Amino acid sequence: MMLTIKDLHARVEDKIILKGLNLTVKPGEVHAIMGPNGAGKSTLGYVMSGRDGYELVSGSIEMNGEDLMEMDIEERAQQGLFLAFQYPVEIPGVSNMEFMKESVNAIRKARGEEALTAAEFLKIAKEACKQVNLPLDFLKRGVNEGFSGGEKKRNEIMQLILLKPKLVILDESDSGLDIDALKVVADGVNSQRDGKRSFIVVTHYQRLLDFIEPDYVHILADGKIVKSGGPELAKEVESTGYAWLGKPEEAGA
Amino acid sequence: MSDWLAQVIDRADAVANAQKDELASLRQNALAELKQQQWPTRRTEAWRYTSLHPLEDMTLPALSQDVPAVPEIDGVDSLDFVFVNGKLQGDMPKLPKGVSVGGLTDSAMQAAATEVFGTVKPRTHLFGLVNDVLATDGLVIDVAAGAKISQPLRILNFVSAGSETHHRVLVRIGDEASVSVIEHGAGSGASVNTAFAEYALGAKARLEHYRFALHGGDAIHIGGAHFSLGTEARLNSTLVGYGSQLSRLDYDVIHAGQHANAKLNAVYLLAPREHFDLHTNIEHAVPNGTTEENARGIIGDRARAVFNGRIHIHRDAQKTLAELNNRNLLLSRGGTISTKPELEIYADDVQCAHGATVAEIDDKALYYMLSRGIKREQALVMLNFGFIQELVAQMPNKALAKWLEPQLRDRFMLMDVRNGS
Repeated sequence: MMLTIKDLHARVEDKIILKGLNLTVKPGEVHAIMGPNGAGKSTLGYVMSGRDGYELVSGSIEMNGEDLMEMDIEERAQQGLFLAFQYPVEIPGVSNMEFMKESVNAIRKARGEEALTAAEFLKIAKEACKQVNLPLDFLKRGVNEGFSGGEKKRNEIMQLILLKPKLVILDESDSGLDIDALKVVADGVNSQRDGKRSFIVVTHYQRLLDFIEPDYVHILADGKIVKSGGPELAKEVESTGYAWLGKPEEAGA
Repeated sequence: MSDWLAQVIDRADAVANAQKDELASLRQNALAELKQQQWPTRRTEAWRYTSLHPLEDMTLPALSQDVPAVPEIDGVDSLDFVFVNGKLQGDMPKLPKGVSVGGLTDSAMQAAATEVFGTVKPRTHLFGLVNDVLATDGLVIDVAAGAKISQPLRILNFVSAGSETHHRVLVRIGDEASVSVIEHGAGSGASVNTAFAEYALGAKARLEHYRFALHGGDAIHIGGAHFSLGTEARLNSTLVGYGSQLSRLDYDVIHAGQHANAKLNAVYLLAPREHFDLHTNIEHAVPNGTTEENARGIIGDRARAVFNGRIHIHRDAQKTLAELNNRNLLLSRGGTISTKPELEIYADDVQCAHGATVAEIDDKALYYMLSRGIKREQALVMLNFGFIQELVAQMPNKALAKWLEPQLRDRFMLMDVRNGS
């Protein structure tokens, strides 16, 4: 099993956000997680990646049979977890190129592979940059520095392409994108679907799922999955919205 | 008065008797001024955080004969002037049309020299006066009005263990002329050196200026760079400073003409136990001037940095835009930074901002890097270094920035970063 989440409860500061979430993902599967604002969609990605302040209360998360919660943040990434952020941070003074090269080599090293030389890395970075339709000078700029919202999202997908993770969480990678940028992001993601790599696509809207077709769709409300189904469930949400869930407090009751 | 200053004054008389150039009377004035000065103590505001004891206690060893190699910089075709322990080595390079260069006592350069000497640098700097009376070595650079000099002029000032040097650079930049000057000082043996540079920019003149004060170890380096800006003149200056047992620099930018623009970036990177003191002073004497100043430092274990950034906006200097920002990263609890922005504003229609912070690592940036598999230790190195790299990347001369960056990185890697979080 790629991912097994059992009865996950997690909190941010004093507030319990995830209240008994269960999810299993097999290699090669694409799962969409949809839900209203405040349901805990982003929290799931942050808990899995190990962000400070997002605390496991009970339950377990295993990736390829290993306990994710026992690992440091960087170790999770080295083991193949990748979170594409909704709001990627700007890091002036650290070039995108340097950042991605360090990252790729840290992960290669963890897999027991040779580090890439600067020239080798440049070659694959240029290809990835073209693939997400960013000008090559974005490699030289500071990480996300002065990038538009759409450029930041594409930069995340470029990292996804370069890092070749096993399990990818896309946290609202569609938010704030126009249709052209959305297609670039979706094409980038689809190019990485190889039958082994698994994806969790977190989104508020069905729109992204027109381009990245999921195997399963789950509705997350008030900290737990309240409904699961096939791609048709996303279309249902599109037409009915989330109102049928009632208020979040009631949904969990 | 200290013994050190007393012997300076003794020697100054000898210099005055030996040098009968046109600067002689200016030296005499400086000497009279110097004799009135109090030796700074820790109660003297400008020296509050920098002790002069290392200077007073310095016993110079025998003069070392080591001569460092002149660094070649890929992509920078500079006109080089190499000084070792104050003495110019070799011949003057062939100069392009529009610029003349000579020694401080060179008779052909006296018109420019007398116009600039002591007129840009304020008389308040004690060691500036010391340099006035003792410096007989150095360069006078005169850029003719309208001349656009594309080759940078690079002045290398190497000091060996056992040396005492007093080096002066005087630069006159004519109206609408442009030039780039790199002052590169280095040497970490036990030595005492003062190095002051004065730049007088005419109307619409442009100066791209670099000062690399890459001293270290037991060197005592005290100096400054001082700029007077004519109407619509533009200054872009980058300082890179290392510390040493005693390093002190004073910068002055004087907006003498309206609509001048000054951009000043300073980076200091202090290895354990080093001391570095930067005092900057921006004088907006006339209306419509613009200044943007950014100073950033990384301070190693038991190193001490001092930053004092003064902006003085005179009563008539309406419509001034001035920004000053100083940020520091302490790599360990044993390092010290004393930072003071000092705004004196006497005009009412100005925009002025200042800030000084002792920064910590941005947690969000650190998390982002960790989430990409980068080890914590390496992420901290990258984030810390990125903090100053941002200013290095702003250097207009990209080849120069490219040459500098790995050196700063190497120096940074030697500093203890394990406590950087």
